[in-house]
Amino acid sequence: MTPYLKMQNITKVYPANNLKANDTVNLEVFKGEIHALVGENGAGKTTLMNILYGLEQPDSGAIYLNGTEVRIGSPMVAHQHGIGMVHQHFKLIQEFTVAENVVLGMEPLRGKLFFDRRQAEQTVAEVIEENNFHLSPAARISELSVGQMQQVEIVKMLYRRADLLILDEPTSVLTEQEIQRLFKTLRYLAGQGKTIILITHKLGEVKSISDRITVMRKGEVAAVRETAEVDEYELSRLMVGKRIMLDFDKEVGFCSEPILSLQQVTAARKHQDRPLLDNISFSASTCEIVGITGVAGNGLSELEDVISGLMPVSSGTILYNDIDVTHMSAMELRKTGFSYVPTDRLKRGSSLASSIRENMIITNHHDYLTRGGLLDGKRIESHVEELIAGYQIDGRAGMPIGTLSGGNIQKVILARELEKVRDLVLFAEPTWGLDVAGSEFIYQKILDVRKRGAAVILISSNLDEILAIADTVIVLYRGRIVMKRPVRDDAVLSRERIGEYMLGLKDDFSAAIPAGAGGFLERAAEEGGEGYSR
Amino acid sequence: MRDTSSSKFAAAAGLGITLGAAFLIMLLMILIMSETPGKTIYFFFAGPWANTYYLGNMLNAAVPLMLTGLGISFAFRASMFNLGGEGQVYIGGLAAASLALALPGLPGILGIPLALAAAVGAGAVIAGLSGLFKYKWRTDELISTFLISNALIYIVDNIITGVLQDPESNLLVTRKIAVQYWFTRIMRPSNLDISIFFVILLAVIAYFYLYKTHQGYEMRMCGLDPEFARYGGVNVRTYFLLPLLISGGLHGLAGAVSFMGTQHMLFKGFSGGMGWNGIAVALIARNNPLAVIPAALFFAYIEAGAKSAMINADVTIEIAAVVQAVVFYLITAQALYSWIDRKHRRRSA
Repeated sequence: MTPYLKMQNITKVYPANNLKANDTVNLEVFKGEIHALVGENGAGKTTLMNILYGLEQPDSGAIYLNGTEVRIGSPMVAHQHGIGMVHQHFKLIQEFTVAENVVLGMEPLRGKLFFDRRQAEQTVAEVIEENNFHLSPAARISELSVGQMQQVEIVKMLYRRADLLILDEPTSVLTEQEIQRLFKTLRYLAGQGKTIILITHKLGEVKSISDRITVMRKGEVAAVRETAEVDEYELSRLMVGKRIMLDFDKEVGFCSEPILSLQQVTAARKHQDRPLLDNISFSASTCEIVGITGVAGNGLSELEDVISGLMPVSSGTILYNDIDVTHMSAMELRKTGFSYVPTDRLKRGSSLASSIRENMIITNHHDYLTRGGLLDGKRIESHVEELIAGYQIDGRAGMPIGTLSGGNIQKVILARELEKVRDLVLFAEPTWGLDVAGSEFIYQKILDVRKRGAAVILISSNLDEILAIADTVIVLYRGRIVMKRPVRDDAVLSRERIGEYMLGLKDDFSAAIPAGAGGFLERAAEEGGEGYSR
Repeated sequence: MRDTSSSKFAAAAGLGITLGAAFLIMLLMILIMSETPGKTIYFFFAGPWANTYYLGNMLNAAVPLMLTGLGISFAFRASMFNLGGEGQVYIGGLAAASLALALPGLPGILGIPLALAAAVGAGAVIAGLSGLFKYKWRTDELISTFLISNALIYIVDNIITGVLQDPESNLLVTRKIAVQYWFTRIMRPSNLDISIFFVILLAVIAYFYLYKTHQGYEMRMCGLDPEFARYGGVNVRTYFLLPLLISGGLHGLAGAVSFMGTQHMLFKGFSGGMGWNGIAVALIARNNPLAVIPAALFFAYIEAGAKSAMINADVTIEIAAVVQAVVFYLITAQALYSWIDRKHRRRSA
């Protein structure tokens, strides 16, 4: 049987950071199949699908549809070939109605000039009805729930007569009920002969919905399996793989004084049923590195924003040295001496068009005033020169920071944040995108900070990093803490075991799901419903 | 890796090319439109230097442009858009004139500062209103400055041609302000007055404020990357308000300065595009307060050249507007290009 879609030896290199996002990847998908494409962040799933949808061009390799080679230069060409994609972040116009959004770009016209609204609403209503959606074509997008918006995106693709639907992380923003409804829809569409590719890293869902699975790891295909023949433990091992452990001298200091503690912190966004952070409690003490990990979309970035005062808390308390800082703004927190190395180095951590000098003095610029109230150029200069030398930054004080390499930008941020550490530092994804040498430099700095007695919170989706330097590991899944253990607890803390928590297979804190092996069965059954018995 | 000095050089070279291209286009137009192109070109370039009268008037025309250019630079540096310059100039002039007309007996040493303060205050309040809206409700200042200013122009028109109108004149003008409010002329017979020195001093102070004070630093950081500023502990919302207050104040001042040395009275439409030209001046100067001085002079030079060519040869004054428009287009394109370039670099970095 010829596969409906065949992607052969696809290779894609991003020259900016010399990253092989896809390395001779092969993918075969059959007609009427729900095919899961799974892998960790950065495994290359989205790149591969962007190539299929014409958003990016491969450096080499070929794409075949029904056995004939096709070149997909743009999403428009993809539509012509019947390929549609639903992105993780919806691309809908809030002020337009469902029908207007669906037909946008392919509007029915009256007299070749005027938009035929009635025709549009009628056609869209037909598509909705044919596929068992529950949507009103005349409703405004801004009135819809997240799940309904996703339905609009799917309808949009069906209106364009897509036979192959790509869904990128479709469940990440949905509630359990919405997920169930989506799965029902997907099964129905597959029954109608549509072919579906599902990008995901949630294994319970993969088991319950897909027919076949392609596992990607570091830009390559790690395995292709029939869903029925594989269990979630094997999948998680295939996804995570075995890696070299980083080895650092972990001399644990004298830890006792809690510096920062979160008590039942919840953060919710309007119009979204599931809170972004759900009842988070933990504390970080002197000489302790608390590592917080999880798969992207499970609350890591929200926790970063909440701790740094950039996102409001809905309920709960945050204490910093026994002072209530729950509702403090970033500005007030900064005044208390809080140091923070953010995930987003280019927008939040630095001002790219400004010089290294200007980037190094923010937050502390009040300390460099002359008696007349002007900025003291001489003192700033000597201070900046000192930091440039101390952190071996390859650049001069007057250079715009945007002209530096990623590693050097991160060093500038570290230099600024670490020179004034009082007792607490928040590191978020500190080594993301850096090479080994750059990463080790940063690990050394983090360990130095702890040695000096400060509490460190390390938010990172890089598990190797957490295991290498953290003293305590916390795993977030869907905004909740599902695991909290000291790293010394060798019995539990292998990479694979933590991976099971990260993927939602295990949960130490939920009464409904017993901890330990086998917990995933109940959970999968609960999540997957009828699909699991399929 | 790019150095600051080399990128500065590139910027200067780019500006040179832009201005060169503008002059070339102007030459081309003169060649097409004029029967006596040699004479026209001569008077266009040499006219403003011909005697102290032309030279002084050219310099005098540059003074309010320096102020509006500075005002726009301040707003743009903080990434705030002030499209209400025209109205702020207008209201500033009105405030100064009203004060001078209401207190004709005040000695100059008291009256002039008071009139100028009234002008600064009026401009600042009007622009500050947009800043306040943004501070409170995140209203887009691009729209609000423009709308407020446009509405204001009609109100000021009404006052100039109504309560303040000179009953002895058939023109749409106010009465003259008392003599002690007049700025001292320094290059007779031209209209140039001493305010030019104060305005240049103000540009230097503005430069100092932006680059040497911590407030200027915070303002620039908010403009370049608000998220970075917020993360760094800067009260970002303050800088919704402050830059517009300063910008409006400078525009208001331009309104006062433009008439207190020259006509000594207001006439309907006296702001005559000063607000809009301030945007062009700021763009040429790349929002650098010191560069605003030559940029304003350049703008005034083109206008004076066109005037001289119109009087002495056979082209119309519109040629100045066309050249200014060409410069404006080229500069905007260049600014747009460097902005795209920066965005691109940010993404690939």
